[in-house]
Amino acid sequence: MSQTRTDAHGLAPTCPVRQGGDALRRRAWSPYAAGILIGLLQVPAFLLVNTALGASSSFVTLGGHIAAWFDPGAMDTAYFAAHAAGAKNWWQVALVIGIGIGAFASARFSGTRRGAVAPVWRRAVGISGFAPRAAMAFAGGFVLLFGARLANGCTSGHGVSGLAQLAVSSMVAVAAMFAAGIAAAMLMRRV
Amino acid sequence: MDVYRMAVLGLVMGVAFGFALEKGRVFEPGVILGQMQFRTFTMLKMFLAAVVTGLVVLAALNGLWGVKLHPKATELGAEIVGGSLLGIGIVLAGACPGTLFAQIGAGYRDAWFALAGGLAGAVAFGYAEPALRPLISGGPGKLTLDALLGLPFWAVALTLAAVLTAGLYALERARPWRADLGPEADGLRE
Repeated sequence: MSQTRTDAHGLAPTCPVRQGGDALRRRAWSPYAAGILIGLLQVPAFLLVNTALGASSSFVTLGGHIAAWFDPGAMDTAYFAAHAAGAKNWWQVALVIGIGIGAFASARFSGTRRGAVAPVWRRAVGISGFAPRAAMAFAGGFVLLFGARLANGCTSGHGVSGLAQLAVSSMVAVAAMFAAGIAAAMLMRRV
Repeated sequence: MDVYRMAVLGLVMGVAFGFALEKGRVFEPGVILGQMQFRTFTMLKMFLAAVVTGLVVLAALNGLWGVKLHPKATELGAEIVGGSLLGIGIVLAGACPGTLFAQIGAGYRDAWFALAGGLAGAVAFGYAEPALRPLISGGPGKLTLDALLGLPFWAVALTLAAVLTAGLYALERARPWRADLGPEADGLRE
């Protein structure tokens, strides 16, 4: 099942959605199977960690410690101090590092290779070089996390976890997220 | 559990999470942007499948064993403004805070810059938080739909799970997932 032939972009030309065979080597799972697996992760999150799945507060834990290298007074800020230590905060940092490792392993098993930049950016916004896309990604990441921390949650914490707990705060945040995301995306070329 | 065991647990759960994000293809910028442009529906399907599973799981944990839930407090202004910025950031970065790490793992190098931007954004918010706090706080607290309706959590959760499942069934009939992924499984048609 391993893919040896690739085109000029390093992408395998074969049909991506093979059926049968080894699930780990398959290039794509149904979005339902993948979503159910993520939903099941709520069981250890609630029973062992006493929290819901989330991702964005890990940026405060990591960012706060980085800020403290440059600004010794950073940890005097209540917001950084609240995220700096403790099992739940480091659990979430480990979780997002694990996401990177899991995605790396999954891509390796299926032989899926990715270039430096996804082709969608050239098509949607006409960016082809790495530097302009890196600048866009940095700006996007900044807005992404500033917004997530202001809303007190992201696609995981408000979206996957908040809706599953019937939280009104999460319904509002997810509605705003999709509304603004759709509006921003419609300004780009539909590819 | 001590912090080291908790970190190991987080790592193991994260590997499963990252595996699901990569296999589900929802970490692809083309899939995320494509959802926001209504070209492909992979992200919505996976998102709602995770929500439905969470609803059923939490209905059982809370309804049968009384496991405590953790809904976030309602602060409407922060959720509307913050949620909107989050949505714009998703489109510019081509990622959510979690899927960004899956992009790094899968080999997209621009995602490292989104990570750097994300850390900077979180730090900027940390410094701005004392000034923003008066604008954020003062909401009605931890509102949940079941409490507003005066019904047990498990009943509303299972009802919503059933409604969303019916919606997903109709969506899959209209837009089969394999066709939505495209030949390179990145949400692009050609």
